[in-house]
Amino acid sequence: MRYEYTVETEDLAKYYYMGKYVVKALDGVNLKVRRGEYVSIMGPSGSGKTTLFNMIGGLDRPTRGKVYIDEVDISKLDAYELAWLRARKIGYIFQTFNLIPVLTALENVMLPMIFVGTPREQRIKKATELLTIVGLGDRLHHKPGELSGGQQQRVAIARALANDPAIVLADEPTGNLDLQTGLEIINLLRTLNKEKGVTIVTATHDLKMIDVSDRIVYLRDGKIERIETRAEVTVEL
Amino acid sequence: MSKSEVGTWEIGEIRFPFSEAFRLSLESIRKRFVRAAITTAAVVLGIAFLNSLMMMAAIQSVYTGTTGIQTYQYWLLFISLLVCAVGITNSMLIAVAERYKEIGTLKCLGALDRHVLILFLNESIIMGGIGGILGYAAGLIAAIVYGYITLGGKVADPMSKIVEAMLMPRTIIPIALPTVLALLIVSIVLSIILSMAATLYPAYIGAKLNPAEALRYEV
Repeated sequence: MRYEYTVETEDLAKYYYMGKYVVKALDGVNLKVRRGEYVSIMGPSGSGKTTLFNMIGGLDRPTRGKVYIDEVDISKLDAYELAWLRARKIGYIFQTFNLIPVLTALENVMLPMIFVGTPREQRIKKATELLTIVGLGDRLHHKPGELSGGQQQRVAIARALANDPAIVLADEPTGNLDLQTGLEIINLLRTLNKEKGVTIVTATHDLKMIDVSDRIVYLRDGKIERIETRAEVTVEL
Repeated sequence: MSKSEVGTWEIGEIRFPFSEAFRLSLESIRKRFVRAAITTAAVVLGIAFLNSLMMMAAIQSVYTGTTGIQTYQYWLLFISLLVCAVGITNSMLIAVAERYKEIGTLKCLGALDRHVLILFLNESIIMGGIGGILGYAAGLIAAIVYGYITLGGKVADPMSKIVEAMLMPRTIIPIALPTVLALLIVSIVLSIILSMAATLYPAYIGAKLNPAEALRYEV
């Protein structure tokens, strides 16, 4: 089954109630992401990037509006179906890598495959393949503590791809990395996007991300300020 | 394989085989060995107290022919096990809080609430089981030393009296076993139940965490 739009949000809003104050983290966001697209969500901190990330990723429920992943309204899913969505449809990459510290690189990549019931031999084969693609073929049995930040993020990218998700969500993937390592990670994401056709949505304020994105969504105060395609941006620069 | 259908999706099965969960629990204990050891020590002390009390009473009864345990001692025992449980709960609450991010990550990868629950309960079973065996050994040694000192001088061969007390049959449903064996079984079962019961609440908190909140949490 092929879907034209991987992600679609409709009047998406998330309010946090702090006593008598209402914080509108997201306030009516309409966004469509095509299959195979590389979209960056930019904006200052507090603009709602992470909230949007959580909503699209099925990690939190919106106050209002809808999120469709592969044409299914995920607010209608129960806990079990949401777990399945997170395992199968979405790959997550975090600023702080979030690898399981007690597991090796290989085991970390195998973990999402355990949840969906992939047989052991196939898990090992796939995880080895993915780690080789991200350039860590010789670090399979290292634990996160024995890897550098950039290497840990590569493991996280391999893990995000383990179940061939419809979309990879990355929240500030370069936020904890130095300039050069960050650039390598961005290029890796772009390569995976081009070669494997993975749909990628990143929330970031790293300007290096602009060069590789098909579209850039500027978020401010929980609303979309403007959307630029790459051609326009290059002209601007 | 498919569990249900939503729109155009076929929702498949989500699982976390026990062997994998157990291994992850074991690795987590190894990684935080010192704290796990301290938590286990709480079980060891409680169970050692239980065993020394029962065993000393058995030695006493072989020597004097009385039952040897007073009601207040049962109270003491109950309180000591309660203190031990509270200690475990406290320690597991910290262990869960320390791993909010890990729990959030696991949920992102597809873990269900019950998988997180099982992960922490596994840890409590491992620590409880080890604590039970060590506590049993410590309590037994304490009782033997006690018996040797009190009986020494009063009877010709204190060790034979102690052995007699150890082998004295006790009925634990449905069969009669020598005291040493009965106490071993009681120790292991009780320590595991105690440890699991004390972990239930912290594990439940961890399992119920909303992944977005869990990920936001900074240690």
